[in-house]
Formats: sequence, C-alpha cells, structure tokens
Amino acid sequence: MKQILTVLFLFFAFSVSAAGLKLTSQIQEIGIGQQFQINLVLDTEDEEINAVEGKIVFQADLLELKEIRDGNSIINFWIDPVRNCVSNGVERPDSICFSGIIPGGYLGEGFIFSAIFQAKKEGAGIIEIQDAKALQNDGKGTPANTKIFNFQFSISKNISGPEFNAPKDTDPPEEFKPEIARDETLFDGKWFLVFATQDKGTGIDYYEVCEGSKKKCVSAESPYVLKDQKLKSYIYVKAVDKAGNERMAILPPQNPLKWYENYFILGIIILIVLGYASRILWPRFTKSR
Amino acid sequence: MRWTHVILIVFVSSVLGFSVFVFKSSPAQAGVSISVTVSICGNGTIDASEQCDNGGSNGACPAACSSSCTTNSCGGGSPGGGGGGGGSYTPPSPETKVVFSGRAYPKSSVTLLKDAQISATTVAGSDANFQISIAGLSAGNYIFSVYSEDNKGSRSSLLTFSVSVTAGVITNVSGIFIAPTISVDKSEVKRGDNIAIFGQSAPQADIVVSVNSEEEFFGKTISDKAGIYLYNFDSSFVEYGTHYAKSKASIGNQAVSNFSNSIIFKVGIKNIESIQEKAPIKGDSNNDQRINLVDFSITAYWYKRPSPPTSIDLNNDSKIDLVDFSIMAYYWTG
Repeated sequence: MKQILTVLFLFFAFSVSAAGLKLTSQIQEIGIGQQFQINLVLDTEDEEINAVEGKIVFQADLLELKEIRDGNSIINFWIDPVRNCVSNGVERPDSICFSGIIPGGYLGEGFIFSAIFQAKKEGAGIIEIQDAKALQNDGKGTPANTKIFNFQFSISKNISGPEFNAPKDTDPPEEFKPEIARDETLFDGKWFLVFATQDKGTGIDYYEVCEGSKKKCVSAESPYVLKDQKLKSYIYVKAVDKAGNERMAILPPQNPLKWYENYFILGIIILIVLGYASRILWPRFTKSR
Repeated sequence: MRWTHVILIVFVSSVLGFSVFVFKSSPAQAGVSISVTVSICGNGTIDASEQCDNGGSNGACPAACSSSCTTNSCGGGSPGGGGGGGGSYTPPSPETKVVFSGRAYPKSSVTLLKDAQISATTVAGSDANFQISIAGLSAGNYIFSVYSEDNKGSRSSLLTFSVSVTAGVITNVSGIFIAPTISVDKSEVKRGDNIAIFGQSAPQADIVVSVNSEEEFFGKTISDKAGIYLYNFDSSFVEYGTHYAKSKASIGNQAVSNFSNSIIFKVGIKNIESIQEKAPIKGDSNNDQRINLVDFSITAYWYKRPSPPTSIDLNNDSKIDLVDFSIMAYYWTG
C-alpha cells in the first residue's frame, strides 16, 4: 500500500504544471579569460504569464559580468532596467535584478535576456535564480508555481573554447511614439514625457531627449520631466541600441509659438520694416542735407 | 479487485485527465493559424513580395524581369522615346510583413498592438471579417495583440500571439476570432428575476454564456445579423451573493473564440440598473480610458516607493509591486 501511495504521489507531483525560469548556455566548461553567454528563458507551460521578476546571483570572484542584452526579449516593458542589483544605493557586482511585464500575457517558451560573463579564475560554481516570481495573466496577479533551473559551470585553465562572438546588429530600434502626459501625483503636476521601444538585435542601450533642437540632447529615462513646460518646442527622442544603431521619434509642439513669438519671423518683419523705412526716409534725409 | 487497485485506477485516471487538460493547446491561440509565405524568385510564379517572375528568363535588361523579381526599367523602350537617363537601379529588398485576418464584430473597430503599443487599427466589414497588415518590421520575435470595440464602446479581451518574423518573408496570422463583449442590464438583480446578459460577436454565432457560481451554469443563444446577442438568465438558479458571467462564441466546429472578460453582478433583494457609462478601468491612472505606457510610467514611478496614491495601488495593499503591474498588464489597451 505504501509503495502504491509513493508511486501515486510522485506521479501527481510530476504532473502539476508550473512556469519555469531557466538559465541556459551552449557551454558548461569554460577557459580562463573566456567569455560566454547565459540566457534566461521563461517556459510558461500551460499558464499565461504577464509579469516576472527575480535576480540572478553569481560568484563575482569567478565571473565578471561584461554585458546584458535584452534585444528580442518577450518582456515589453521593464519596470526597472535589467542591471546589477542595487543594495543601499550601491551596485552589487554579483547579481542582476530584473522585473518586467508582457501586456496580454505570454504562453510558451520565450527569451527574457542574456548576460555575457568572462571567467576570471579556475573553479566551479553555479549561477542561480533567486526570489523569482511569475504572475498569471488573470487580472489578479495570482502567482504561478515557479520551477527554477540554475546553471552549473566549471572554469579550467586547460580549456580553450571558441571565442564568444556577439551577433551582428545593423537594424535600428523599432519605431516608437513618445507621449506627453501630466499627473497630479508625479513631479508636482509637471508635464513629462514617456517613451519606450524595443530592439530586436542587441537591445536598447540608452535614450536621449532633445527639446527645441536636435543638438540640445540629454541622456534620459522614461518618465522624463520636460524643461519646456509650455510645450512650445519640438521634442526629439533618440533610442540607441547596443550596436550604436539609432531611431529618432519627433513630437511636434503641442502649443506652437505664435508668429510674434517666433524670433525668425519677427526678425524678417523687422528687416522688411527697416528696409521700407530706409527707402522712404533716406531720400528725405539726403534732401534735407 | 482489491480496493487499493480501485483507488489506483481512479487516481491515475484523474491525474491523466488532469494531464490531458494541462497539455491542451493554449486558449489564447486556439484556432489561430500562423503561416509563413516565402517568396521564391525564379520559380515562374509571382509571389506576394515579387513584382514579376519569368522563371529562367529573369535577368538584366533587356529581360523584363530582374533576377531579384523586380520589373527592369531598361529605358528607351518605346519608339520615339527619349532614351534612358542612365544611372543604376537598386531593386527594393523583399518586403517583411505580417498579415492578420479573422473575425471581430460587424463594423467594429479592431486595434492591433505590436509589442504592447498601438500599431494599426481597422474597421471590420459587415460580415465581421477584418484584415490588418503591418510592414517595415525587423527580423525578430514580436508579441502582437488584437482587440475590438463593439457598437456600445465596450472592449473585448486582448488576444495575444507571439510571432517570429523573418526578414523578406510575409507571415500570415489567420483564423483570429476575437472574444465577444459582455454587459449586464443590472448590477444587482432581485433573486428570482431575470438578468439580461448581452454583448456583440460575429453574426449568427453560437454564444455560450457561463455564469460562475458555486456551480457553473451554461446557457446558449445565437447572435443576430449585427452580431448582437442577448441571454436572459434566471437568477433563481443561483444563491444570494456575487456572481461572474462570461461568454464565448463559435461558428460551426471550426472557429471558437476565447472567453470574454468576466462581468460581475450581484443577486440580492432588489433590482439596481447597471450604469452604462464608461466606468474607470483598473490600471487607468490618468483616466483617459486607456491602459498604456503613460499608466505604466506613472505606476513605475511609484514602484517600491512609500505611500503610493490609492488610484495606482490596484490590489489595495499600500504598496506598488509586481502584482499591480500584472493587473495592469491584464487590462492593457495600448
């Protein structure tokens, strides 16, 4: 009877579905100084998932994080950009934090992001997923059962694996449309700009916002408080991917300058008036002399 | 047969049944077919992204069709013409496009989201069929979603697909069947009275209405030529309290939609008419009747910050965390 119950328990345990977060790589044995890529993958099994978060922890004495790539990710919006976790205002070199959403939900196996590491010295270790959460697309944020698949590796001086070659990316980020908004609970009710796009290659590196002129740009994150609160300027938002490809979105002014506020038009009018006045007044002036 | 064997058989059957349920195809993609059209230049057939294809005769001028299946402009072709102007001709690269087609509601607006942002809109025909295509995409994985808005302004649930786009290839996503919209005429119904459950779907579709109570009740009706359906539910079948209703549509045995969003109603001691005005939607921080990047950005600002505004705290736990974002992602409109 005990045996039957054990079999039943095991059978039932393996039948229960759960969303899986997996760390995968093409290699497990790494040479010293070699770079390799780890992919974080979500396998939703039968549950639609619309939000994930967690952190990836590694031994900083063995591995150095060189780069994070989120191009082609199933995550549409990162709540916080994927980067080293921050603890008490200090970036931790041994962990990567991620949190993002997939509006409408996702079903299947999908790529979340990849991390490129360089092996520093000989040893063996594990790259772990911790504090992982995957929430169901049910309108309530119900947590899905989550299975974790960590990644084990060994670093040896006797291995000389193939060099890591980053894929070529010549495509600019996707087209996007920034929006201007205002909310009483944010930035003292000031106008701010929101923007986001994706890059199907290496991923977005940074954004720049330019107000009034394409030459007056600053590095920016969304939401960005506009300097021109009267919304009279053109706004340019530039998305740059990690291969340096750029995409620019342009927002025309919501309250364009009146003709008399435009110095260019005003200058032309003044010149015309001066020219006309000199044509009439100059002969009189020369006659009177 | 010993009783342990009976238990074993019953248990294994139930678990197997559960497994079958687990491994069935996703409701979000049920019935939807994704096909890829690859243009083969040189096969003598003019494919979707080709201007011409003369098979083995393709080539440089004087051939009418180039080796990349674009029309050659050889110049000086017509008698008395001025001759070619010189210069080189670079044929356009093959088109990368995704074409979506399926059923919504007659003359309803259909919105397509690309990676959660509005990419295109169209209006379905009087037969509820629609087609949207978007071009100019990079190769890569995209998450597309579609929803429709009925004649009363109610929105359907979001139907989402993950599509892998290949450069120079036309991908067809067909067989989309947008879930019906659903409304009720009363927010509270006096137990024993009828409550009208109605909405819009494709014309002449079989509609199944499900009322979730302790026990689930199913009712059937057929939508009219305009896709409107109405089901009068006898509230005496359910207990006092809060109940949920949802609906799905099917046409023949081929096309089946997902279930609609759930709508809530109460069975009580009096009838209270449902207010048909547009109610605030969960996650709509700036009250513009849309859940999009603006709302996401406002909520993201309060992520893990103390004392967030109650309008943003969607599960009322006095903090903004992943759960609030998950709720917002469910109600997303782009």
